[in-house]
Amino acid sequence: MEILKNKNGSTLTISLSGRLDTVSAPQLDDELKASISDVKELILNLSDLEYMSSAGLRILLSAQKTMNVNGKMIVKNVNETIMGVFEVTGFTDILTIEN
Amino acid sequence: MFKKIKNKLSFNIISSVVLLLLIFGFIASTIGYWQFTNSLTTEYNDSAFCTAETAATLINADRINEYLENGGEDDEYKLSLSRLDTLCEKQNVSVIYTILPDPDYNHYTSIFNSVNKNTGYDRWEIGYVRETSTEAYKKIYKAICEDGLKRGSVIRDKNLNGGQPHITSLMPLTGTDGTVKAILCVQRPMEQLDIGRKAYIRHISLTMVILAILASLLTIFLIRRQFVKPVKKISEEAERFATENRISNESTLKNISKISEISVLASSIEKMELDTVRYIENITSIAADKERMGTELSIASKIQEDSIPSIFPAYPDRKEFDIFASMTPAKEVGGDFYDFFLIDDDHLALVMADVSGKGVPAALFMMVTKILVSEIAKTGTPTNEVLSTVNNRICAHNKAGMFVTVWLGILEISTGILRASNAGHEYPAIKRADGKFELFKDKHGFVVGGMDGIKYKEYEVQLSKGDTIFLYTDGVTEATNAKNELFGNDRLVNALNIKDDCTAIELLTCIKSEIDKFVGDAPQFDDITMMAVKYFGEDKMKELTINATVENIEKVTEFVNEQLELCGCPVKAQMQIDVAIDELFSNIAHYAYDPDVGPATVRVETRENPLSVIITFIDNGKPYDPLKKIDPDITLSAEERDIGGLGIFLVKKTMDDVSYEYRNGQNILTIKKNI
Repeated sequence: MEILKNKNGSTLTISLSGRLDTVSAPQLDDELKASISDVKELILNLSDLEYMSSAGLRILLSAQKTMNVNGKMIVKNVNETIMGVFEVTGFTDILTIEN
Repeated sequence: MFKKIKNKLSFNIISSVVLLLLIFGFIASTIGYWQFTNSLTTEYNDSAFCTAETAATLINADRINEYLENGGEDDEYKLSLSRLDTLCEKQNVSVIYTILPDPDYNHYTSIFNSVNKNTGYDRWEIGYVRETSTEAYKKIYKAICEDGLKRGSVIRDKNLNGGQPHITSLMPLTGTDGTVKAILCVQRPMEQLDIGRKAYIRHISLTMVILAILASLLTIFLIRRQFVKPVKKISEEAERFATENRISNESTLKNISKISEISVLASSIEKMELDTVRYIENITSIAADKERMGTELSIASKIQEDSIPSIFPAYPDRKEFDIFASMTPAKEVGGDFYDFFLIDDDHLALVMADVSGKGVPAALFMMVTKILVSEIAKTGTPTNEVLSTVNNRICAHNKAGMFVTVWLGILEISTGILRASNAGHEYPAIKRADGKFELFKDKHGFVVGGMDGIKYKEYEVQLSKGDTIFLYTDGVTEATNAKNELFGNDRLVNALNIKDDCTAIELLTCIKSEIDKFVGDAPQFDDITMMAVKYFGEDKMKELTINATVENIEKVTEFVNEQLELCGCPVKAQMQIDVAIDELFSNIAHYAYDPDVGPATVRVETRENPLSVIITFIDNGKPYDPLKKIDPDITLSAEERDIGGLGIFLVKKTMDDVSYEYRNGQNILTIKKNI
C-alpha cells in the first residue's frame, strides 16, 4: 500500500492507494500516530484504495475517535466495495464520508 | 555282437552240417556193413558148399542106415571117414559132418564127423545123438528133408557159450533112389568176417569224424567270409553313420558280398544314408527359416506394440479423465488396435478398431488404418468426416479386400461432450456416475474399406463427472470356451457392473479376468482389445497449503483470485472474497499456532447450478470457532464501538454461507459465495 501525505497547516490529507489489509494496516497506523498530534482536520482520500479489511476498519475507528476529540476527520472518494463494507459494519454512521 | 552271430547262426549252421554228415555217414556205414557181411557170407557159403559137394562124393548115401547099424565098423565107412578128415584139413574148414535128424527134427544122430585139428573139438562118434541147436537148424533140417531144399546155410554168432561164430552150409545126401538119406554139413569159422567188419566200422567212423571236423572248419570259414564279414562291415558302417550323420569318404559297402540279400542290404543302407543326409539338410534349412520367421514375427510384434500408446498413466497431469487400454493379440501380431491422442489441449481423440482377420496381413492393414485415422483426426476434422476420408483412402488401395470396423470419438474435455461416429464397430458401453453400465446403441455406418463414398453420421453424448465409457472389439464378446459358448454381450455387461466404482485400469483388469475364467483352457481365438475412459471434468477444486503467516496472505489471495478469474467471478465478489481471506487467514496466522507458526490449507472449489465458489480454510491449530464471536452492535457510536469482531462480522455479512467444523484435530472454516 502507498501512503501519500500532504500537510497544509493543521490539515493533513492522507491518500491511500492499493489495499488496506492486515499486512499494510500497521503501516498506516504508524503514519497516523506519527503525524496526527497537531492535526485539526484529517482527510483520508481513498480514491485509489482497492479494498479494506477489518484491520483497516480498526485504524479508521481509532483515528476517528482521536479526531473526534481533536477536530474532525473526513473520508473521501470511497469506492463501491469499501462503501459496502462501511454499510455492513455500520461505519457509515460513524465516519464522515464525502464522495 | 559278432559273438552272437557266431554263437547263433554259425553254430546252428555248423551243427546242422555236422549232424547231416553224421547221419549220412551212419547210413553209408550201415549199408556198407551189411553189404560187406552179405558178400563175405555168400563167399563163405559158396566155398563151404564146394567142400560139401566134394564131401558128398566121398559118401555112399545109400549105406548110411547100414553104417548106423554097424556102429561104424564098416571098411567103406572108415575109408569115407578118413577121406573126409583129409578134406576137412585140406579145405581148412572147421567141421564136416553128416547127420540124420529125428522125424521131429528136435534131435539128430551123427553119422560122419570130421573136425579140424585147430578147432579143438572132439569128434562125435557115429550114433551120437544131439539136440538140435537152434530153431534155424531145425527149419533147415526140415526144409532139406521134406521140402527138397538143396542148399541151406546157418550163421551162428549168438549164444555160442564160448564158441566162435561160424557159418554152416547144409545139403542133402540123396541116395540113388532120390530120397534124402542124411544131411551133410560143412562148418566154417567166421572170424575173418568179424574182424573185417570191426575194422570196417573203425575205419568208417574215423573217416566220418575227420570229415565232420573238416566240414565244420570249412563251414566256419565260409560263413565267416560270406556272411559274418560283410554283415560286420555293414553294421560298422551303420554305426558310423548313426554317429557322424554324414556320408563316408570311402565307399566301404560296395561289392561286399555276392550273396544277393546281403548286397541288397548294403545298397539299401547306402541309399538310406544319402536320403537321411539330404533330409537332415532339408530339415535344418526349414528350421533355420522357421527360426528366422519367428524372429521377424517377434520384431513385427514389437513394432506393433510400440505403435499404439502403451504408457500408463497416459496423462498423469490431466486430472479431468482417467484412461486405460490393452491389446492382447491371438497370434504374435494382431489386427485389433486402440489409439488415443490429444488433438489439442481440450480435445482427446479415442479410437477402437478391428481389422478383418488376424496375423501379419491384418497387422499390416492395422498399421495403415491407424496412421490414416490419427493423421486425419489431428487436423480437427469431425469424426464422421474422418471416417469417410479414411474409408475412401483405404478403398483406393485395397486389392486384398480387407476391411476394418472403427469407432472414433473426440472428447471435449472442458465440457464433457463426446462426439463420435461408428463404422460397423461394437456398441460402446457407458456408465453414468451413479448408474450401471449399459450398451449404448449408437448408429452404425458401414465398415471402413468395404466400399468407397460411404458417409457417416456423428452423434453426441454428454459426459458428466464420474461417467465412464468402455470400448472393445469382438475378441471380447466372441471369446469362446471349450464348450464353444461365446462370452457374449450379456456376460460383458454383467462383468462391467461387478464393481460399483473403479478406475479405468481396475475395470479392464476385472473384465480380463472374467474372460480368462470363462474361456478356461480353450485357445485364444481372436485379439482381445479394450479401452476405458473415466471422465471427471475440469478440476473444480484447487488447493494450496502454506504457512499461516500474515505475510502469506498475499500469496493466498493471489492463489484464490486465479481460480476466481478462471470461473469468471465478478470483481465485486472477488473483492469481498479477498477481504474474507484477509480476515480469516490473519486469524489463523495470529491465533491458531500461537506462539508457533503452522501450516494452513486453502481449498477453492467451483460448483455449478448455481455457479458458486466455495473456499475452505483448514488448520491444525488450537480449536477455535470464530463464528462464536458475537456480532458487534453496529449502532453504537465510535466511542462506544468495540474494536474487535469486525472482521468475522464482515465475512458473515458479505458471504452467502459461512460454516465451521472441528474435525480430526482440524479447524475447518468454509465460506461460500454465489457468483
